[in-house]
Amino acid sequence: MANNSTHNNNKMYSESTYRVGDYVYFETSSSSPYQIRRIEELNKTPSGNVEAKVMCFYRRRDLPTPLVQLADKHQMATAEDSDSPVAMKLKKMWLKTPVSEEQAAQAVLDPAIAALEEEQRNNANSNGTEKSDLSNKQKHQMKHRELFLSRQVETLPATNIRGKCSVTLLNEEESLLSYLNKDDTFFYCLVFDPTQKTLLADKGEIRVGSRYQTDLQSLLKEGEVDTRNLEDLETLVWTPNHNLSDRKIDQFLVVSRSVGTFARALDCSSSVKQPSLHMSAAAASRDITLFHAMDTLHKHNYSIEASMCSLVPSSGPVLCRDEMEEWSASEANLFEEALDKYGKDFNDIRNDFLPWKTLKNIVEYYYMWKTTDRYVQQKRVKAVEAESKLKQVYIPNYTKPNPALITNNSKSSLLNGTANGNNDILALTNGKPCESCSTSSASNWYSWGPSHLNCRLCQTCWNYWKKYGGLKTASRLAENDIDAIKKRPVENCEDDEKMTAAHRQSSNKCTYVNCGKEFKLKAHLARHYAQAHGIAIRSNSPRPIMKTRSAFYLQTTVTTRLSRKLCRHVIKSKKAARQPSYAISLTTVKTEFTNAMAKVNITDIKSFLKYKKKDRGSVTLIANRLGNPATTGNEWLKLTPKDQMPKPEKVAFPKPPKGPDGSLIYERIPNKVAPEPEKFVIPNTIGCTIITPTNVGLPTQLPPLPATVTATPISAPLPQAGKRRAYEMNGMDPAVAPPPTKRPNKDPMPSFRPSPEQYAAMIEAATAAGQPLPRTHLNGKPKIAQMSRSGSGRKQVISWMDAPDDYYFRPTENNKRSRRNLTVPELRRLARKPWRKTSQTNNNVSNSSSTDGGPQVVILD
Amino acid sequence: MATQAHSKKRVCYYYDSDIGNYYYGQGHPMKPHRIRMTHNLLLNYGLYRKMEIYRPHKATQDEMTKFHSDEYIRFLRSIRPDNMNEYSKQMQRFNVGEDCPVFDGLYEFCQLSAGGSVASAVKLNKQASEICINWGGGLHHAKKSEASGFCYVNDIVLGILELLKYHQRVLYIDIDVHHGDGVEEAFFTTDRVMTASFHKYGEYFPGTGDLRDIGAGRGKYYAVNVPLRDGMDDESYESIFVPIMTKVMETFQPSAVVLQCGADSLTGDRLGCFNLTVKGHGKCVEFVKKYNLPFMVLGGGGYTIRNVSRCWTYETSVALGVEIANELPYNDYFEYFGPDFKLHISPSNMTNLNTTDYLEKVKSRLFENLRMLPHAPGVQVQAIPEDGIKMDIDDQDGAPDTEEAEKDERVPQSIKDKRIMGDNEYSDSEDEGPTGDGRRNRESHKNPRKKQKTTEAKVDSEAVKEEKTEEKEKSTEVATEKKEENGTATKKEESNEPVTCET
Repeated sequence: MANNSTHNNNKMYSESTYRVGDYVYFETSSSSPYQIRRIEELNKTPSGNVEAKVMCFYRRRDLPTPLVQLADKHQMATAEDSDSPVAMKLKKMWLKTPVSEEQAAQAVLDPAIAALEEEQRNNANSNGTEKSDLSNKQKHQMKHRELFLSRQVETLPATNIRGKCSVTLLNEEESLLSYLNKDDTFFYCLVFDPTQKTLLADKGEIRVGSRYQTDLQSLLKEGEVDTRNLEDLETLVWTPNHNLSDRKIDQFLVVSRSVGTFARALDCSSSVKQPSLHMSAAAASRDITLFHAMDTLHKHNYSIEASMCSLVPSSGPVLCRDEMEEWSASEANLFEEALDKYGKDFNDIRNDFLPWKTLKNIVEYYYMWKTTDRYVQQKRVKAVEAESKLKQVYIPNYTKPNPALITNNSKSSLLNGTANGNNDILALTNGKPCESCSTSSASNWYSWGPSHLNCRLCQTCWNYWKKYGGLKTASRLAENDIDAIKKRPVENCEDDEKMTAAHRQSSNKCTYVNCGKEFKLKAHLARHYAQAHGIAIRSNSPRPIMKTRSAFYLQTTVTTRLSRKLCRHVIKSKKAARQPSYAISLTTVKTEFTNAMAKVNITDIKSFLKYKKKDRGSVTLIANRLGNPATTGNEWLKLTPKDQMPKPEKVAFPKPPKGPDGSLIYERIPNKVAPEPEKFVIPNTIGCTIITPTNVGLPTQLPPLPATVTATPISAPLPQAGKRRAYEMNGMDPAVAPPPTKRPNKDPMPSFRPSPEQYAAMIEAATAAGQPLPRTHLNGKPKIAQMSRSGSGRKQVISWMDAPDDYYFRPTENNKRSRRNLTVPELRRLARKPWRKTSQTNNNVSNSSSTDGGPQVVILD
Repeated sequence: MATQAHSKKRVCYYYDSDIGNYYYGQGHPMKPHRIRMTHNLLLNYGLYRKMEIYRPHKATQDEMTKFHSDEYIRFLRSIRPDNMNEYSKQMQRFNVGEDCPVFDGLYEFCQLSAGGSVASAVKLNKQASEICINWGGGLHHAKKSEASGFCYVNDIVLGILELLKYHQRVLYIDIDVHHGDGVEEAFFTTDRVMTASFHKYGEYFPGTGDLRDIGAGRGKYYAVNVPLRDGMDDESYESIFVPIMTKVMETFQPSAVVLQCGADSLTGDRLGCFNLTVKGHGKCVEFVKKYNLPFMVLGGGGYTIRNVSRCWTYETSVALGVEIANELPYNDYFEYFGPDFKLHISPSNMTNLNTTDYLEKVKSRLFENLRMLPHAPGVQVQAIPEDGIKMDIDDQDGAPDTEEAEKDERVPQSIKDKRIMGDNEYSDSEDEGPTGDGRRNRESHKNPRKKQKTTEAKVDSEAVKEEKTEEKEKSTEVATEKKEENGTATKKEESNEPVTCET
């Protein structure tokens, strides 16, 4: 017995355990059917709740009616004269589906129904005509089993999960009845795009035509000689056809390792790195030595003796080192720092940290570095991050009664389901039978449909309705009507709900690139911003306070300008300019203006509008004049001579020392344009560098570290933003579906800026290992200032303070004309590199703007 | 397996030590490094010394344009990360940028991958090997003038084109979790190449591979697509792979087989959603190997790299017919294989959405399609005379065709074994080749030498041939007669031949 119960428990447990990838029912509203979703991610929120990121499936009833109608209409129309994109797509799909014309003519929406009909016909053929009635019912129910996949993703609280179901792509060979006969099974054929309101077949296409197929190679004819020469195609590196036994080869491998160990003992740089003999031996046992040994054997025709001699040439024993060994400790540190900063963007790492390495060096080193303890530590940090991502979640069965449950005031009698209770209910709801199965006795009743109709469903039909979104039989009231009545409000409110949900979601989502955390409440988001990103947020706006001033552009209309002239006495523009708080009554201005307008004639108006430039002389002159009321100037205004200036106690940025020629000596800062230090690499067949007295040495100066690193975020577009790939896009598909990506991973690229939790873990790990914190971490917070690189490759740090203001550019006719002269590629190039001068067109632009710069007004608040 | 003991084959393996250092970019799941990991495992397992190891040449533009459009290859050749901006239009056109990023050495990478597969094909054509392995190949999504799904140059198509010089019919099998759309598309309208792909279908890249896609024109019924659902396990996989491929072998009767061993169908793959183990995956290699046909084994997908290298190492051992220990040997990347450091992996407890009923239905539909093949019994024999004519020709002379014909026939293992012994000498002569060339490199002896080579080969093969021509003639006669008579029975016998003659 005990066994049995635990088994049951297990079963229960596994039934209520939901994993990523499961198809589930979600209850979003008590009065509408469940929604069917697939769990893409399970995330633990900071508050301890579990949120599920889910992929949406739509039911037939959820599709907008125009789409259904359009689709249906298409079936009626002939193939030629439909040209709406939806119809075209559907047609395409239809063409691919082997369905006869008559079937297509029937008002069926998609292949699924067609398949059903075909099946029915087959049944009819085999079983006679007995069940046309039954198959009608089946056809009706089948529509409930059909779903439409969408690529839409939303986030829902996991507690709203109401059970599992299964959704599969309908296979042509499958019997639709197999779905009907099994509970909680659904199928789909088409993909619904909620934004574009289109239906598409979820399949690619093998294209036919000379542009796609290959030109076929014909069989070689008699006497025709294949021009292929194996020697050109391959180089033999090893052959098993030799006289050496396995044992001999093993022995030789040991010898070559020992030679390697000895070579390390002789090599100065090695002896620093591998102070113990064990370490030297371990280093000599790496695969590169073995590959070299095998190559040597092959090169010397599998003669152990010759190979052995070649291992110890007169210049000393051969030393093979891979990247792991080649790299100095400081290079390794640099690499880790770089990895921390740039992630695995090895090009950037090379450019900014290790310019003397090749990309191949770095990649090879990276993969070896991954075997080290250091990597394991980092992985631990990652694991902490992954903790918020759950693999499965247990949600106990939901037992609360649905609000639609018809309750008598005496709840107990209803729950007991006695005849007595039944009577009560019958009395309550005018004794209407179940709207679906017409039964008049059931344990529980649920009110259903528009309230004034007082319809109700029995328990089983209610369950059916919740799961499949329809009634078991087509309702006596035409179901469509009910749906129509019902759908309007339900759909609307659903839409509204969705909208608000989406809105809430987006507004409570951290807007930082690579963060994107979501919060239930704004307050949480604000706290997150404050803690993780160090910014404060205005309570009613998700925009950080420390935003750069935004600009506005005031373009005055003709009437405004006129009113300034005509109603000068009301507006008092000079006073207003001096006292910004001075209120101008718009209504009086308006009345005054209309009055005045009646009096003036057109010529006057024209003259008013003419802009009379007042010649006040140059601004500089005026400023000078204002600054120097007396031409001689006061004594106190005179500048102190340089040598009499007070000296500061401490010079923060002392000038660099002077060279013998009097010029300042700056330390050379390597950057990517700097030539690589010379390195002697002996070309080698297997890519190992045999050590020669090279002096790669440590770089004496570290590559330029950002000098002004501020711990404040910027709002300028982050450099990473450009690197987002389309596959990361969440939710909706982009407008025109590009070729699908192979990577279904929808979550943003692994961010390399660790979250505070990660940092906590990192600090823990580092302190546990007794290591100092990497210096890029300020107060346990990630460094947020972003670097961008200008064309010259120099890095610039833009702080939010210095971020450029936005501005408006109002082009003049001349501008536009000159723009038209540019070709499209030129324009694009200019857009990308605004500083670049292009031919004479650029001059034109500047000329035109300088000649009539009048209308280009920029007013900043 | 009983067959393993005496099915030692001559295996050639193609690898370039640079391949592991090509890097698709940050966050990109495709990692050529997995090929190097496999290579290091092979060395430390001692499998390295049991095969011929070749460094492939870099495929030339001419070689690649055998399939790809000139424009596309020219584009691949000229694009670099630092001049990407100038090519934005073309990048869009050739679908380069997102899934298929521009990375340093992109073109070289394609050259190496294609070079290995082309060299493999030539090797098989020259009968210098029975199994060729190129884990750097198998990039099955690349289209004629379009990159797709991490693939730029379709080395498989290039290899098959090479094989078609000597083989009337080539079979392509694809066990990657993704549909082999590039290869299928390339040979969609031909009956000389049959493509068979087992893949996850439905809401999955690349979206093609429906059960109903069967080829077009002359190629109708020559594309076999097996759409599968999430959670395929070893058992279900075998239950559908074996019957379908047996039937394909039976009806299509290829004279060479190319197998794409994409390892993303393994359990726990970063992109895949099947539940296969290394053993189950390797069974496919084992299955094809039993047919004793010229066999090209290629890589492909696989995004959990530790499992990819496990899988390909195991499959190399299967090809070699050598058993290897479950304990992984120490190597440079040993730590990748933690925490168990074992070769074999165990499946997860994910649900298998492929019900037996579903698989059964798919299978019967595919059988129906295969029955439509002209070679199939009950259908007028049309393509046979073509072969017959060729036989006549090679009775007179003509080396390549004799080779072709030989491959068409199932050769008794005893004779095959003899040929393997002969291969030893053959390879020696090849070894001498370069040095001999060096001796007389003052003049170009390209053509004479080639002639000499072919005559050598002829002599070599003739030695074998003489022994078996009689037998062969008899058997072909019988075979064709039987075919004309009728009969599923005879057909089956024939197809069973390779299996039975081994055991």
